[in-house]
Amino acid sequence: MTTRLEQPKGGFNFDNYQRNVFLEQKGITLPKMTKTGTTIVGLIYKDGVCLGADTRATAGPIVADKNCEKIHYLAPNIHCCGAGTAADTEYTTALISSQLELHRLTTGRKSRVATALIMLKQMLFRYQGHIGAALVLGGYDINGPCLYTIHPHGSTDKLPYVTMGSGSLAAMSVFESRWRKDLERQEAIDLVKDAIESGIFNDLGSGSNVDVTVIEKDKVDVYRNYAKPNERGQKEQSYKFNRGTTAILKESIKDLVIITEGIEEMDIS
Amino acid sequence: METQSLRIIPPQDIASTVKSVAKTANSFGVHDTFRHGLKSIEGDILPKHPLENRLKHWEETQTNLKLTLHRRIYGIHAPVRQLMERSIVSRVQRAPILHSSNLSLDILMGKDETIDFEDFLNDPKLSTEMMDMHISMEHKLGIKF
Repeated sequence: MTTRLEQPKGGFNFDNYQRNVFLEQKGITLPKMTKTGTTIVGLIYKDGVCLGADTRATAGPIVADKNCEKIHYLAPNIHCCGAGTAADTEYTTALISSQLELHRLTTGRKSRVATALIMLKQMLFRYQGHIGAALVLGGYDINGPCLYTIHPHGSTDKLPYVTMGSGSLAAMSVFESRWRKDLERQEAIDLVKDAIESGIFNDLGSGSNVDVTVIEKDKVDVYRNYAKPNERGQKEQSYKFNRGTTAILKESIKDLVIITEGIEEMDIS
Repeated sequence: METQSLRIIPPQDIASTVKSVAKTANSFGVHDTFRHGLKSIEGDILPKHPLENRLKHWEETQTNLKLTLHRRIYGIHAPVRQLMERSIVSRVQRAPILHSSNLSLDILMGKDETIDFEDFLNDPKLSTEMMDMHISMEHKLGIKF
């Protein structure tokens, strides 16, 4: 036990790093990085931005959550899809959301998407990819609809239609074949849905339902579980055992509470 | 660290080659094992996590860049004045074993309206680590008996 001379600083703690390196040299296998999988997409249409995500959360080969939310709130006019380490995307977006709220309270103006972008990329760059958050950032501000992708190391792209995550290739092929300028609202939602569904069916890391968020001028519509392509089918037969299938050999019921009549003196000795 | 550099990010590793027990030495000039536990020079020399150094020196590097730019634009008075103000407000603190919020310093550093990982992860306010009042005070004031 060592005596500390100064108050500890908050934030990340690296105390166990040298110990872990030492243990690894001695032949202990440390836990492997868990493989992640997601499909998240976004596109710009005639009067807004449409974001989409699947709802499967994986922990290596195990489906940890069949209906998780991957489209996070950042500001009233900005939402953000997250792929990569689930906790990292969750906390990164929550942190930037708080920063944007504080920024709005100071300036008294609506948040711009570029502000959120710069905050996110500067933060991710500082942590050099150790925060595994790959994001699709979409929103509507005074510059109209804006759409960006942010990679875990802090590099960003500004494109009219973007995909991220392990199902990004499947989703991008749908966008590449069918996206055009000035899509109508319903066409955009359908295209996003089809892109996510191609991710769901062709990528093992993605699955379950489709979440869609549509951001327009002064209006955000969140469609949770917009499409459910993987509903569990009805079983042909019922496999429930009927009451009385197992014969009862003997039965005894015991009262767990003993009720006594009258008043007992309280023990005050 | 160089005083007048235009660095944006901290250099890869600023490990100094001199390791010393001066900080934890007792009145005989040797490491005080009773108070500070066993000392391992190996632990000081072995490579640290690649992020540790970067995060430790991040703020310092950014501040240094800003001060250097101010110096070049406005002249030496600008950084001198800022550093003077910072040193005045950072002197008003609680005893070293208690947490000081140092809001005025946060305002001068432009951190009062932001929230970061160090504000809610591993919060020092909630730390359960025991600290020795006398040792930390002696350390703060640079007193050695």
